[in-house]
Parts: sequence; C-alpha cells; structure tokens
Amino acid sequence: MSDTLPRPTAATDRSTPAQTEAIQVSWFAPFRSTAITVVNLSLFFLLWELVARADVINPLFFPKATDVFSALYNGFADGTILPQLAHSLSNLLIGLVIAAAIGIPVGLLMGASRVADLILSPYVWAMTSLPRVALVPLLILILGFGNAMQLTIIVLSAVFPIMVNCMAGVKTVDPSLLRAGRVFGADRIQMYSKVILPFTLPFVIAGVNQGIARGLVGMLIGELLGGGGNGLGFLLDRASQQFDSATLYGVLILLAVMAVGLVQAMRVVERRAAPWRSIPNV
Amino acid sequence: MARTGTHAAAHPGSQLGSQTGSPTESQAGNQTGSHPEPQAGGEPLIEAINATAGYENLRERTRLIALRDVSLTVAKGEFLAIVGPSGCGKTTLINMIAGFVRPISGSVLVRGQEVTGPGADRAMVFQDYALLPWRTVEKNVRFAMENRRGRVPAQEQGERIAKVLDLVGLRGFEKSFPHELSGGMRQRVGIARALVTEPEILLMDEPFGAVDAMTREAMQAELEKIIAQTRQTVVFITHSIDEAITLGDRIVVVSNRPGTIREIIDVDLPRPRFTSDDAVKSSARFAEIRSHLWALLSDEALGAKGGQP
Repeated sequence: MSDTLPRPTAATDRSTPAQTEAIQVSWFAPFRSTAITVVNLSLFFLLWELVARADVINPLFFPKATDVFSALYNGFADGTILPQLAHSLSNLLIGLVIAAAIGIPVGLLMGASRVADLILSPYVWAMTSLPRVALVPLLILILGFGNAMQLTIIVLSAVFPIMVNCMAGVKTVDPSLLRAGRVFGADRIQMYSKVILPFTLPFVIAGVNQGIARGLVGMLIGELLGGGGNGLGFLLDRASQQFDSATLYGVLILLAVMAVGLVQAMRVVERRAAPWRSIPNV
Repeated sequence: MARTGTHAAAHPGSQLGSQTGSPTESQAGNQTGSHPEPQAGGEPLIEAINATAGYENLRERTRLIALRDVSLTVAKGEFLAIVGPSGCGKTTLINMIAGFVRPISGSVLVRGQEVTGPGADRAMVFQDYALLPWRTVEKNVRFAMENRRGRVPAQEQGERIAKVLDLVGLRGFEKSFPHELSGGMRQRVGIARALVTEPEILLMDEPFGAVDAMTREAMQAELEKIIAQTRQTVVFITHSIDEAITLGDRIVVVSNRPGTIREIIDVDLPRPRFTSDDAVKSSARFAEIRSHLWALLSDEALGAKGGQP
C-alpha cells in the first residue's frame, strides 16, 4: 500500500536534523565585534581628551578623560568610592529581591483571577503611573532619612513594572495552548505549572528588567533627595557641591557600567530561561 | 486497504450519494432536518441533535448565534470533512464536539453520552499547532500522556512516543524545539501528540491551513495513510474544497453565519485517493463533486459579502 503513495515533498519537508560543519575564516572572526567595541570606546575617550585639552570648554563642565579616570582610581584607592558603591548596589539588589518577591506573586494572581484584578488594578495602575519622586517627601516624613526610606523607594519603583508584566504574561497566554492543555487532560494545577507559568516566564524576566531600570532611578532619587549621606547619589551630590567635576563624571560612568552590567546579566538569564524566543541582539 | 472495506460497509453510498447526482438543485439534498438517524450498518459515534451555539457579549447584552439547529451523525471509523465560508461556525461545531463550547439548546452526544467537556476519547489537532514552545518534540508529545486525565504509565510513554514519531515521520527530531521546525513538521508534532493518546475521535481544525501548498498535499497523503492504519474517526475542518474531497468520506457544507448544514455530500471515491498516477483526483467523479461544492460555496461566499456591507 505504501508503495502506491506519492512522496512529493520528501525533500522539501523532511529535512535532516541541523548539521554543522567547519568553515574557513580567520581566527579573529569570533572576536571581531568585541574588538570593534574596544577600538570604538578608546577612540571616544581619546577624542574626549583632545577636546578637553583644546581648552575651549570650561574644565569645570568638561574635565579631561584622564582626570576622570584618575579621580576614579584615587577614589577607589583611598576608599571613598567603594563603600558607597557597595551601599548602592546592595540596596538595589535587596530592593529588587523584595520587589520581585511581592510583584511576581501578586502579578500572577491578578492575571489568574478576575476578582483580584478588578480589586487591585486601580491601585496598581495609579502607583505605576505616579512619578516615584513625588513620594519622597511623604516617605521622608514617615521613615526619616535612614536606609529604610532609600530601600522603600527602590522597592516602590521596581515592584509595579514587575507586577504589571507578570499580569500581562498570564493574561496573554495563547488561548490555543490553554485549549491544548484541556484537550490533553491537564487539571488546574498542571495547567498552571506546565502551560501558564512557563509561558509567563519571559514576561517575568522582562518585568524584572524594567524593575532594574526603575529601581536604579529610585535608588538615585533616594540618595540624592533623601539626604542619607551615603551611596553613589551622595557622591554625585557632594562632587557637585565641591566643584569636583572629574569625580562627578567618574561616578556617572560607574553608574552606566552598573546599569549595563545588570541589564546584560538579565539578558543572559532570559536566553537561558526562554531559548525559544528569538531575542534580537540590540 | 482495510479501511476502504469498513467505509463501504458503514455507508452504502446509495442513499446519500444521490444528493450529489443533481448538482443543480442544491436545496433538494438539504440535510438540516432533525433526523440524526444512524448510518445503515454503522453505529453513530458522534451525534449532534438540533444543536445551537453562540457567544455572549455582556457589554452589549447580546448573543451572537454561530450555529443554528445543527443535526448530524458521524459513524465510527468515518472521515467527516466540514467545509464552509470563513466565520460560518465550523470551528464552533468542532469545539462543541471537543467539549469547549456547550450548546445553548439541543445537544451533542459522543457514544450516546452528552458532551460536557474535553475527554480522553477525543484528541485535537489545532490550526496554529498549539505546541509548547519550551518543550522539545518528544516532550510535546509526552505532554498528552502525563496529565491527570489520560495518564499513561511512564515506562509505556517512551515506547508510544517512538512509535508515533515513526508514524508521522519525525524520527531523529526528538530533541528539536518547535521553533527549529518548519510549519509542516510542527503540525506533524501536533498530529503525533493527538495520536499518541490513541483517541477514538480525532478532531482536526484546519490542520493544514497554515502550511504551504506543496507540504499540504504531502501531509494530506500521509494523513490518509496514517488514518488507514490507526482507523480513527476523524472530524476535519477545512476551507479547501479539494482537501475535503480527497480526505472525506462525507462532506458537510455549512452555510453562512448563523451556520446551518446546507448539504451533506457522500464522497463515493475509492481509497486510497492519493496514488502515484493521481487516478482519483483526475477522475470525472472528483471533478463533478468539486464543481458541485464550488457552486454551493461561492453561493455562500457571495451571501456573506451581501450580508456585511
């Protein structure tokens, strides 16, 4: 019987599993993009140095790149930067953990239960939309100038994006996946553990990513306006008051490195957790 | 081959076949009446009795009627194709049999029992594949056997997976993820996942609607071959006339929304319909059925345009 059946597209459809073979390229090929980045940044700082040395811009606004790096080096050497960096980073990480611990379950609950969503959503959306900085005077009034205030503002900044993303994840589960779950006998718990939660995972990660960005802002707001006398925000504030523009720029670079590092770390997590999503290499 | 035999026994085409004999008077063969009598010789596995279904819109306080007064029977071992214009409610019909949608009035029975929800006796193949993207081919198929209802003992699962992947031609792709496969191959996974539960009824909702034309033909041929082996009862939705004729034992033509059964056509063509010389597809009878269906459906398509300015 099978002899009589045509196999017209055997070649087009039944391909063999993915195969790899060695190709002839220069040993340098894998490192090319890294090398370009290194050259690119070096040129940037070189240009910066040259422009600053030309002395057309007031060095108070635009210090030499070498001064910035030496201020950073000295700051680390004499121990003025490291404790503040550690303070900020640990605050941020603790705040993010707390925000995730609250935001993920509440967001999942809001996605899963219409009642929970109806009750909570006005407050969640109000808090998501409210500029965080508006809360600082109130938080200072309640919590004073201590670390509790700084931590609270980080948590409040990060928790709502995490919550909203988790909710969106559960709500946008592909309906035909839910139908497949029902057809193939999943009960309520299996539906959550095998279909809904895995589907939501990338949303959770995206939420944490946004939470990091917002949390970083919250961290700086707390340190700049909270008057706690510690953290990278305090360093910025003090450098500004002392007209120490080299340190000011140095701390900004440090913040940029920190933010990029956290976001890149999350991208690695995302690629591990959700390899089926093609993440554009931006 | 054995399948052709049971099919012939199940529906002696004489009674229904006469409908297609007179393509000009399409209303004459209308089967929408409330007489879901079993086919001569075949036990009715699925019955719809005056089933009406719709979707509620709470905001507008209205109910959209998707299907009205549908009565039909599907015999055990039959391959029933359902065609109709898009939005005519054919998906609602298969969803009622699957147990996703309850009729507003009337009833849908499987083996004489009212359908109240999905069951292990019915498996479904989805138009958009509905595979879990985080699972490999093997684990997607395993999904159908590891849940509470229809659980298969762990030691038996591996054996069944190997067998079914062999059947659909996916050996060697066990560890691939759906996003690494072509559309046709993804649907093979969907079919394997449905078949591995060894269901009595296979529900297929435009399974080849999203694959390219070449692959589609090959998949149809393989589906015919697979069903000849597994001998499932199949309810198959399509909007392709040729697909309905090449696969179906009978074709149900559903009219525009609200969907009603316009006609049921007996496809009295020999099996296998896919042969190397294309004898069946190029036969005069095939062309006759096709032009009849074409006339019916273009009627419906024009009706749809007129109804929605």
